[in-house]
Amino acid sequence: MTDFHPQVKQLLDGEITLADLPPELRAEGEEALRLLAAVDREPVTFPALDASVLAELRRRRSKAPSLWRRLVAPREVRLRVRPWTLVPALAMAAALVVLLSRPEPTPAAATVTVRFVLFAPEAQQVALAGTFNQWDQAATPLVRTGAPGVWSATLTLPAGQHQYAFVVDGARWVADPGAPAVDDGFGRRNSVLSL
Amino acid sequence: MKTFCVALLFAVAGTPLGAQADVSARLAGRVSPEIATLVRQLATSAAARGLPVDPLIQKAIEGNAKGVPADRVATALRALSGQLDAAAAALKQAGAAQPDTDAIAAGAFALNAGLSGQNVTALALASRPPNSVAATLRVASTLAAMGVPATESVELVTQVIAAGGTTTEVLGLPTQVMAGVSRGGGVTPAQAAAGLARAAAARANAPGQQRPRPSHP
Repeated sequence: MTDFHPQVKQLLDGEITLADLPPELRAEGEEALRLLAAVDREPVTFPALDASVLAELRRRRSKAPSLWRRLVAPREVRLRVRPWTLVPALAMAAALVVLLSRPEPTPAAATVTVRFVLFAPEAQQVALAGTFNQWDQAATPLVRTGAPGVWSATLTLPAGQHQYAFVVDGARWVADPGAPAVDDGFGRRNSVLSL
Repeated sequence: MKTFCVALLFAVAGTPLGAQADVSARLAGRVSPEIATLVRQLATSAAARGLPVDPLIQKAIEGNAKGVPADRVATALRALSGQLDAAAAALKQAGAAQPDTDAIAAGAFALNAGLSGQNVTALALASRPPNSVAATLRVASTLAAMGVPATESVELVTQVIAAGGTTTEVLGLPTQVMAGVSRGGGVTPAQAAAGLARAAAARANAPGQQRPRPSHP
């Protein structure tokens, strides 16, 4: 590659004219201008390549399913708005808003493991029923411990306040003697557990 | 027909029907049809007023599980509904425009445990993070259920929170009172609570102790 004198480069850039060059550089300047004029500025084309690419595109397009072509083909669409047809759509939108605006489920609450104990030497069976098991006396049976007459059950409960009672022999509701209790509204007492 | 469809869509989208369906599902097979109807009515009305419905459902199920006659269950349900209303009113007195349902349920329980509406308001005013209004009310009502008079229960919880008590410290108050009683010497729950309240007040007034500013629920 020819490395021209800086002043010749200025000439090529159009910053100076040939007359501005010192005499010793004029020949080099003329040569540079000649080379520049000889550059072919016609766009470069590859007719054979263009033809083959277009042919490939046509071939692939013909393989596509006709349904897809119909779906993607541009067409004119005219919309006519009838106000009464919007009502169901608005109703659906309202329903979606209601559904989406409902609070998200709260994250899992902290849990605490609790051991319930009842001394009931005469009992044949003891169960635990409360707000934590929908007062279902079949859900949480107590088991006999090693000590005579002592029944116990261990539960993992969410933090918060729970009310409960022991159910002795499937019929007798007994408040926990070791826990605070409140009126249950039915003339009995519910034990209270705050975790 | 179109109008009917639109109305149906709006009805299904509305919360009252959705809430009723949820209540019915929870009561199915657990209570008598007449109690289920009453609970649905009370729950719909409560939900419309921003009150929790879960305590009503729980009370109905509890009554059925205990074999309580339907008329007595109905009476208990109406009483509970009134307590929920009273609790919400007491919390609004403390500045909460729309108290959260957890706090209202805790307030209703506090009323059932022997606290007054004024006590509930005072506890809501004293409560501040990290101690939620609901947790504060539960602790005070547990103390009341242990036999600590309402005034002393409120005083103890308020003093511990004012002294910067953590959630663990506040939740542990019933255990501390019980421990004080268990030590013997004829100490009553009220005396044990008063002793703890004095200690908390001394801590709150100690030099360098910053008293947190009250906040509303």
